[in-house]
This record gives sequence, structure tokens and C-alpha cells, in this order.
Amino acid sequence: MLSAFLQFLISGVTVGAIYALCGLGFSIIYNASHVINFAQGEFIMIGAMSAVSLVDAGVPMPLAIVLAILITMAVGVLLEKLAVEPAKRASVTTLIIITIGASIFLRGLAQEVWDKNFHKLEPFTGEVPINLLGAVLMPQTLWVLGVAVIVILLLAWFFNRTLEGKAMLATSFNPLAAQLMGINTKRVLMISFALSAALGAIGGIVITPITFTAYDNGIMLGLKGFSAAVLGGLGNGMGAVVGGLVVGIAESMAAGYLSSAYKDAVAFVIILAVLIFLPNGLFGRKGTERV
Amino acid sequence: MKGVSRWAGLGALAVFLAVLPQALPNNYYVDIAVLAGFNAIICVGLNLLIGYAGQISLGHAGFFGLGAYCSAVLVTHHGWPPVLALLAGAILVGLIAFAIARPILKLKGHYLAMATLGIGIIISIVINTEAGITGGPDGIAAGPFTLGGFTLQGERDWYWVVAGLLLLTIWLATNLVDSPVGRALRALHGSEVGAEVVGVDTTRYKVMVFVVSAVIASVAGSLFAHYVPQLTPTKADFFKSIELVTMVVFGGMASTFGALVGAAFLTTLPQFLTVFEDYEPIILGGIMMGTMIFMPRGLVPTIAAFIQRRRS
Amino acid sequence: MTLLRVENLSKEFGGIHAVSELSFVINPGTIHSIIGPNGAGKTTLFNLITGVYTPSLGAILFDDKSTAGKAPYELAKRGMSRTFQNLQIFFNMTAIENVMVGRHLHLDRRFLPSLLRLPGIAKSDALAREKSAELMRFVGLEAYLDADADAMPYGALKRLEIARALAAEPKLLLLDEPAAGLNATESREIDEVIVKVAQSGVTVVLVEHDMKMVMGISDHILVLDYGKKLAEGTPAEVRNNPAVVAAYLGGAHA
Repeated sequence: MLSAFLQFLISGVTVGAIYALCGLGFSIIYNASHVINFAQGEFIMIGAMSAVSLVDAGVPMPLAIVLAILITMAVGVLLEKLAVEPAKRASVTTLIIITIGASIFLRGLAQEVWDKNFHKLEPFTGEVPINLLGAVLMPQTLWVLGVAVIVILLLAWFFNRTLEGKAMLATSFNPLAAQLMGINTKRVLMISFALSAALGAIGGIVITPITFTAYDNGIMLGLKGFSAAVLGGLGNGMGAVVGGLVVGIAESMAAGYLSSAYKDAVAFVIILAVLIFLPNGLFGRKGTERV
Repeated sequence: MKGVSRWAGLGALAVFLAVLPQALPNNYYVDIAVLAGFNAIICVGLNLLIGYAGQISLGHAGFFGLGAYCSAVLVTHHGWPPVLALLAGAILVGLIAFAIARPILKLKGHYLAMATLGIGIIISIVINTEAGITGGPDGIAAGPFTLGGFTLQGERDWYWVVAGLLLLTIWLATNLVDSPVGRALRALHGSEVGAEVVGVDTTRYKVMVFVVSAVIASVAGSLFAHYVPQLTPTKADFFKSIELVTMVVFGGMASTFGALVGAAFLTTLPQFLTVFEDYEPIILGGIMMGTMIFMPRGLVPTIAAFIQRRRS
Repeated sequence: MTLLRVENLSKEFGGIHAVSELSFVINPGTIHSIIGPNGAGKTTLFNLITGVYTPSLGAILFDDKSTAGKAPYELAKRGMSRTFQNLQIFFNMTAIENVMVGRHLHLDRRFLPSLLRLPGIAKSDALAREKSAELMRFVGLEAYLDADADAMPYGALKRLEIARALAAEPKLLLLDEPAAGLNATESREIDEVIVKVAQSGVTVVLVEHDMKMVMGISDHILVLDYGKKLAEGTPAEVRNNPAVVAAYLGGAHA
């Protein structure tokens, strides 16, 4: 009983950590530009696929990981420069379609650059399972959680302690005022895409030894990351992390106790309930429309 | 003046649809025309919601799929006559859309996108999972469409039915747009509070247009179920929803004929690109981004504005 | 008889009192102005009266009936209409269609007849178009009868909102800074329009910074400061009220 529950919890937290990183990526871009980047999930896929093919090409794992993150960041910056920035004044609907278009485009590109097969990355430190009160804990799970925690702490440090991070926060509160204070908001936008891409890539790389990757698995991961971000209140970093864990755990429990076929529906049921009953998310600020 | 141009547009389309089959060399092309027609019917309805009322839906394939599966299941498993199954599907979808519209249409922008997307995905997961009823990923065959001893057979029969339904849908949509109801829809797109203070019950109109567009998708879906030999869940999935929105946006938001052109173009294009089949997502994604960046108003309104500028 | 009665009205936003314990009445058939420095709560008051915001405390009675819990469109049905300081134009429509939306409550807006465009719909639409054109001429927009709203200058849009509000045939018309951003000539034209509207029996409530306009056309003035009533009375009374001179006019003339 307990061991099964613990097992579901472990896998829920593991995948939840990836949703959290993805949700953070949504929030960072949203804060910098009020754009929802529906291509966020593709960053996860590109990071993972790049790492896989670099390792296959004989590049040592640590170097392959760094390169894969850099490649994904470059894709993120290109996406921002070529597709988002030219349409900066567009309506919300327009921007949604642009980023969904980008997502489909990147998926198609991945299918050409790589293939349609599943790929796996070797676990970072072996496959000897650890027994935890009857539940099985793979070493890679610890990697996922450890990396997620470190990344989240680094982000918190970046936004609260560095000038660059503070500039990004300022831009999210009031872009015009930030610009008047000499903050280069275009640069902020670019950094936000690079940072989100890096978050996606890191998440994609650490989870791939557990879940495999393929050209088309970015979409679902991205949509669940978005659910996490909305659940926690769009633009709220801590909220995205909590939202990611909630979605991950709920999904894993549903798969374990109810039906594995409806696992993917769980995130969307939660998000609908939240949107209908708590439209500002769990931790969102309530805004008053000014007329 | 406006009334005249509306009848002229509808008349020109009727003539075009009447002569088109003569120009099509074989049934392969008629098939494409029928598929384009189905998409155009859904898009004209979806455009009322997205283009005119300004409310995005990333889940309309769900309603299309619900209508289609409702027909297929009632006809094959329960022996219902196709027309009754179609009506039952339309009523069911109408009720579902009505029930969810009020809470979710309070949401705006990204939140509305997320909610409609979620509904579409949930519907698609249910269709995929309840294999006992729906046939799961393998799909289900609804059989031919029959009405009072008459059976629709072959692409050409279907062509006339779909063409007729398309004309009817466009006629109804243009009527609606150019009425107090349509103006209320466009007004709440322009400014919700501005519309409210002159007496427009914006919630009611949003719910209404959401239900109308969902029911149109459902009716198209019911017929589609009988048209294809095997109905599969991919017709109800997230990508189908995105494809529909892309058609509306590419053709031109708030342009009924734009929705038609968008559907026709994006249905036909991949057929001529079969050699590039693998590149289809790249091309589709590229079109979505390109249209939005370079002509955010869509094809038809952009061309119309260009012609108007040349004239004056 | 009073048309609008505001009793002990308060509105706070996260601890800030935008309007506090405000009471006043508006009698029918007159022009009322609400003045006060920026941030005095004038627009908030309009939003409360028209149902855009919900009061934190207090009551508003329109035609002796409470407006509590009523949406703006329900109050519009009862005969309230307004314009906005931050324009709320339907930029996706033509100018005349903007005004035709104002006719909404007076048209057949049933779904099925509209869908089938029954003859009655076409006929009443034609009438609404005529009536709207007439209103556009009335507010001085004859030059924009065929214009798209997004191609019109600011001053014209201000008048378009007035025409749209008038199209609803309100008993009570609330105008939020109708002269803001207009030059002196345009301001005088708006003056005339407002006076004509009032003469036709519509009660007008005005938020305005243009003191010349306010003093010239108002029957009654309410002065707000930090969400509270500072003074009220005829223009002459308000002008000579020492508190007003100190808090508002004094500052404005300095």
C-alpha cells in the first residue's frame, strides 16, 4: 500500500519537476513580454534530442549536455528575433498562433533533422535502484530533482540579486518605465527566451534517461508546463513550481489508482477547474480592469 | 449597397461551386473539394466566434469529433437513422457547449485559449480511450448516409450536399453578422465595457456564438462521419483544432469569405505537396507564423484593402 | 423626485479609498458636473454608478430602485448610458456601426429572425442606420458618415461615443471628460451639444476639467476631493466656497 503510494509520489514529483521547469519558462517569457510561448515544449524536445545525437556522435556526456543547452538557447533566441519580435504589437490571438506555428515548425524540423524514432539517453550515474520503504528510486530521479532544485535556486538568485535579473523584473511590472530608466527591454526579451530555452533543455535532458524522447513529445510536455504556470498564476515563479508539482503528482496518482489512459487528461481537468473557480490561479494577483 | 454586395458574393460562390465539378478531372479532386467544403463549413462558424466576437477557441475539433462520433456510434451500434443521429449529436454538442460556455467565456486571452484547448484535449482523450464505444485509435465506420430510401453514394453526390450546406452556412453567417446580433458580437470584440453600457448582454452573446459555432462543427462532423470510410480520433485532436484556427486566421479574421478561402487553400495545399509530405508541419507552421507576422489581418481582408487603396 | 440617489457610497482598492462615504442626489432634467483634482474618484464614481465596479459599501438608487448587483447592460436597459475617459470605441467597426450598436436595445435582436434576415430585421436596420446618421450629424460628425472608426481623430471619437450613448435614448447620460484633448473651438461645439441634449429632457452628469465649460453649462456642481464630497451647489455657490477655492480652484489658477 504505502510502497505503491510512495512509488506514484516519486514518479509524480519527478515528472512534476520537469513541468515546473517548463512552467517557469512560460512565466519568464510571459513576464518579459506578455507572450505565451506555446513552443516552450519544443525546447524540451530539442534539448533532449540534441543531447542524444551528440552523445551518439561520440561527444562526452557533460560536453554534449552543455552543447545541447547552447543549441536550444540559440533556437530560443532565433525564435524571439524572427517570429516574436516582428509581431510585438500584435493581439493575443495573433501571438498565440505565431507561437503555435513555431511549435509545429520546430517539430517538423526535428522530424527532418533527426527521425521519428524514440531515443534514450544513458542515465548519468548508473541504473542501480535504491530501495526506499519498498518503493524503487532510480539514481536518475535524484539527478532530476537535484538539478531542478539547483536551477530554481539559481533563478531566484538571478532575479533577486543580479542587475540583469532585476531589470527583467522591472520590465515585467512596467515596460515603459523600465525603458525610461535605461533598461534595454529588447535585450530583456531576448534573454528571457534564451533563459526559457535553457530551462526547457535542462529539463528535457535530465528526464530523457527515464522517459525517452521523440520529435513529437514537446507538445504535451509544453501544454502541461503551461497548465503548471496557469495553475500557479501566470507570471508567478514560485507558483509555476508548485503548479508543476501538483500537476505531476495528480497525474501520477490518477495513472496509478484510476486509469493510466486518462493520465494525460488529469492536467487539463485540473486546469479547467482552476480557471473556472480560481481564474487568477493559486497565487495570482487579482487585477482590476481600468476603463 | 451592402445587401447587394452580399448577394453578389453569394451568387458568385454558387456559380463557382456549380461549375467546379466540371473542371475537376477525376474523383480524387472531387474528394479534395468535399474535404475543403467540410473544413470551410466549420471555419465559417468558427470565424463567427474568433473573427467577429474575438473569442479564441483551440478546441473546436473536439466539437467536430463529438458530432462525428455521436453519429457513428448511434448509427452503427444502435441502428439510428443518420438524420436523427445528426440531430442528436447537434443537440448534445449544443448542450455541452452551452454548459461550459458561461464559465469559460468569462476568461480572456491566454486563459480562454488554455480552457478551450483543455476541453478539446479531454474530448479527444475520451474518444481515444473509450474503445468499447468509439473503436479507439482504430476508429469506427458510420456507414453511408441515407435519408428516406435515398443513399449518398460517391464523391459527386457528397459534393452537392456539402456545397449546398456550405452556401447555406455562409448565407446564415452573413445574415447574422449584418444584424443587431452580429453588431453586438463585433462590438464586444471591440470593447466589452463599451458594448455593455449601451445594453449589450456580452455574456449572453458570447455564449450564443460559442454554441452556434460548436453546433455547426458538430453537424459538419456528423456528415463527415458518413463520408469517410473509417472515422478516426485524429479528426478530433489538438492538431485538427489548430488547423481549423489557422484556416480562419490565414483567410482573414472577421471575413466570412476569408474563412472559406483559408479552409479551401489549406486543405488543398498539402495535396499538391504530397511529394513534400514530410515537410508538411514545417510548411503549416511557416504559414501560420508568416501570415501573422506579415499580414495579421489575413489573406482576404489584406487583398480587399489593397484593391480599395488602388481604386481610391 | 430624484433620478439618481447615491447613499453613503464607498469603494476601496486594496486599502485605498477611491470613494468614501459619498452621498448626493441628482434631479431629472438638469446638467450636473462632478469636478475635483486628478485622483479625486470621479471616474471611479462613474464606474460605480454604471455597474462597471461593485461598491464596497453604500447604495445607489436609479429611479428609486437599487442598482446593487446589476450588470452595466441591465442598467442601460433602465435608461443609463455613458462615455469613457479612456475611449471604448469599437475600432473593428465603422463609425456609423458604432452608433448603431447604441440602438441595440431598441432593435429586434432575436436570434432566429437575425439569422434568417427576416424583412423586419432589414427594415429596422435601415431605420437604425438613418437614425444613427442623424445622431452623427447632431454631434457634428457628418464628415465621418462613411469612415472606419480606426481612421478617425481623437476629437471625433469623443463625439462618436456621445452619439453612441445618445442612440440608446438614455434618461441619464454620464459623460466622462467629453472635452479632454479638444481645442477651444471643439470644446464650444461639445458645449452646445450637451446643452441641446439636456434641453431634450435627458439628465446629464459630467466629469470635466474644463472649468469654463463646467461653470457655463452646469445647473449643479459636486466637488470631490480624495473620494469625499468637498462641496456642492450652483456654480456660483461652488465658486465662492472657500474650501473649494483652497483645495481646487486655488491650485488650478496658481
